[in-house]
Amino acid sequence: MTIQIHWQLDVTAEAGRSEPSARPRVPGVARDVRTPALNRYDYYAQVARAAALTGFDGLFIPYREDGDDSQIVAAALARTTPRLRLVPEFPASAGSAVYAAKQAATFQRFTHQRLGWAIAPDGDDAARARRGDQVAAKDLAERLDEFLTVARAVHRGPSFTFKGRFFEVQNGGFAEPLNRVAFPTVYLRGTEEERLKLSARHADVHLLDAAPADELKNVIEVLGWLALQQGRSVAAGLIQPVLARETAEEAEAARRDAGIADDAPVITGSYDDVTSRLADLASLGIRHFVLTATPGFEEAYRIGQFVLPRLRALTGSARAAA
Amino acid sequence: MTIDFYWRLPTHGCHSSLRHHAYDRGDWSPTGPHHIAPGLDASGADDGFRYIDHLAEIARAAEISGFIGGLIPSFPNTDDPWVIAPLLARETKTFRFMIAFQPGFLNPVQAARLSASLQRATGGRTVYNIITGGGGPAQLWWGDSFSHDDRYGRTTEFLDILKGVWGSDDFSYQGRFYRIENGSLPPLLRQEPLPEIWFSGSSDAALQTAAKHADYYLSWLEPFDQLADKFARVKERTAALGGRKKCAVRVDLVARPTEEEAWRDVRIGFENVSAETRDRLRGQQTDSVGASRQAALRPTEARRYEDLIIAPNLWAGFSLLRGGPALGIVGSYEQCAARLDELIRLGADAFILAGTPHLEEAYRVGEEVLPLLGQAAGRQRVAAE
Repeated sequence: MTIQIHWQLDVTAEAGRSEPSARPRVPGVARDVRTPALNRYDYYAQVARAAALTGFDGLFIPYREDGDDSQIVAAALARTTPRLRLVPEFPASAGSAVYAAKQAATFQRFTHQRLGWAIAPDGDDAARARRGDQVAAKDLAERLDEFLTVARAVHRGPSFTFKGRFFEVQNGGFAEPLNRVAFPTVYLRGTEEERLKLSARHADVHLLDAAPADELKNVIEVLGWLALQQGRSVAAGLIQPVLARETAEEAEAARRDAGIADDAPVITGSYDDVTSRLADLASLGIRHFVLTATPGFEEAYRIGQFVLPRLRALTGSARAAA
Repeated sequence: MTIDFYWRLPTHGCHSSLRHHAYDRGDWSPTGPHHIAPGLDASGADDGFRYIDHLAEIARAAEISGFIGGLIPSFPNTDDPWVIAPLLARETKTFRFMIAFQPGFLNPVQAARLSASLQRATGGRTVYNIITGGGGPAQLWWGDSFSHDDRYGRTTEFLDILKGVWGSDDFSYQGRFYRIENGSLPPLLRQEPLPEIWFSGSSDAALQTAAKHADYYLSWLEPFDQLADKFARVKERTAALGGRKKCAVRVDLVARPTEEEAWRDVRIGFENVSAETRDRLRGQQTDSVGASRQAALRPTEARRYEDLIIAPNLWAGFSLLRGGPALGIVGSYEQCAARLDELIRLGADAFILAGTPHLEEAYRVGEEVLPLLGQAAGRQRVAAE
């Protein structure tokens, strides 16, 4: 089976790292020649290159209200990581579906089609009001349905007309050469049936949060069944925190030091332990992993060097050719 | 006082020469043997380069040769500035990305997030070129059905909110088009400088919005007396509305060592314009006031290139040679510099220049024309003393 393994770049997890504000205020012994131009984007680039060097297939950049916008981060990193798939997450309230598709077309054209589109959870009423999103909670699924319908259709080619509740297009659609590239891989989320149905119609990958195996198994089955009804197939994906060390004891100690709660769904153990837990999840039907650990840079190297090769050997999934 | 000179990144491919009209840089014409970005490798297969690789070269050429940055235009069949700018952020040093966009296409809070993030990624090199005009069928292509004056009202609200969430940790707004409660940029992003705002639009609705929010009022080149009137009117009207604006102008140049060489390239380019191109240009519709003013020059009906010379060094046929406005400057390096000096005297406070091919001409104009600016006046002063 082929599994895709992404690393997560969380722009808020280590927001201060490599920022000028994190430098000593009083000059130290070491002469410091760093300019303000050296900042968190240089750190993001290191994480991305680390993920590329150690054989991850892609970089998942979650939407974070308190941090840099994931779409800008993805584009800023794209040309320093020639192989990596970039999956920025953004809310469907970001703007017009036509414009989003237009931006995606340029990203695809200029990066050898390495873009993924992850649609962020809409958030509660207060969160949406903060973002200027005026769509009511009961209409959010329908808005996303229209958003993806319109985006895909204008991407396909000219002469598209549509009048929905949220989006309207007249004689739209992209001409050559904008429509020569593939539409980005679509990642959707949510466990409610309404959301699974949306994925059945629109998603390439349905991303789940870490959960007990029987819960995941159940959702994957429902998803597969709903997709089948649409004549499609949707891959199941999982955002999975991991804490791996050379030995299980070291991993447990690290977990205690980090203050991770006993019931937190962080797969913890030796490289072999973590690998075998992930392989179990793959056997449940998970085909896309988004692995995450902090600090993002060092852990990308660690997981990439010690867990990925084991996991690929165990699941028979070859590293994508560079 | 110094003046900001921007260049342009062509987002619809580029020609290797003003004389010929195939897009041999980029993929807007079928890829042939002498094409680049993408080109063909020794075996005739795609060489793997993309148009962004060429855009990166133009951006670097512009920053090396003395331009402060470049306009990145946006139309239905172009690539997108909000993607191009961050793609090039880490491989340019001083180049400012002037992003053309229509506010209606983005949620204003999201636009603020994009902008502040891009400011961090570039060290504050983001500039807005806010477009509200356009309209007619093109606007419905974008999925935007608002009428002309409604769109300016929406642009005003958009910028109210963008600035509001940028400057406050708890911003609420009830507008005709937008509603937001307790919004703000996070502290990490709010410390970034707000991008400079360049604004276009010739109608009164446009000027009201410009007066409130813009830093520069941007116009296409028009006959000099008309442009001087327009700049005077903009400065007067925006001052009356509470914020006198600086004025900027977009100008294409054909600058050559001699005037004869410049006109020769224009003549050959003009003679190579196909009947299909003229027909296509005739058919373009818009409800934009600025676009209508330009179309009134009717370059599609000219039989000889000389018929389009409307003043010394001023040619009204550029729209035949490449997408964009009709008027531009043609002449020797000294003449081009003198015309730009004249525009400065008439009220231009900043410029967006361009020439075809954009890569080589960035060097040429940067090295040969910009250094001559202000020299004629200097010489006159010396002579008078």
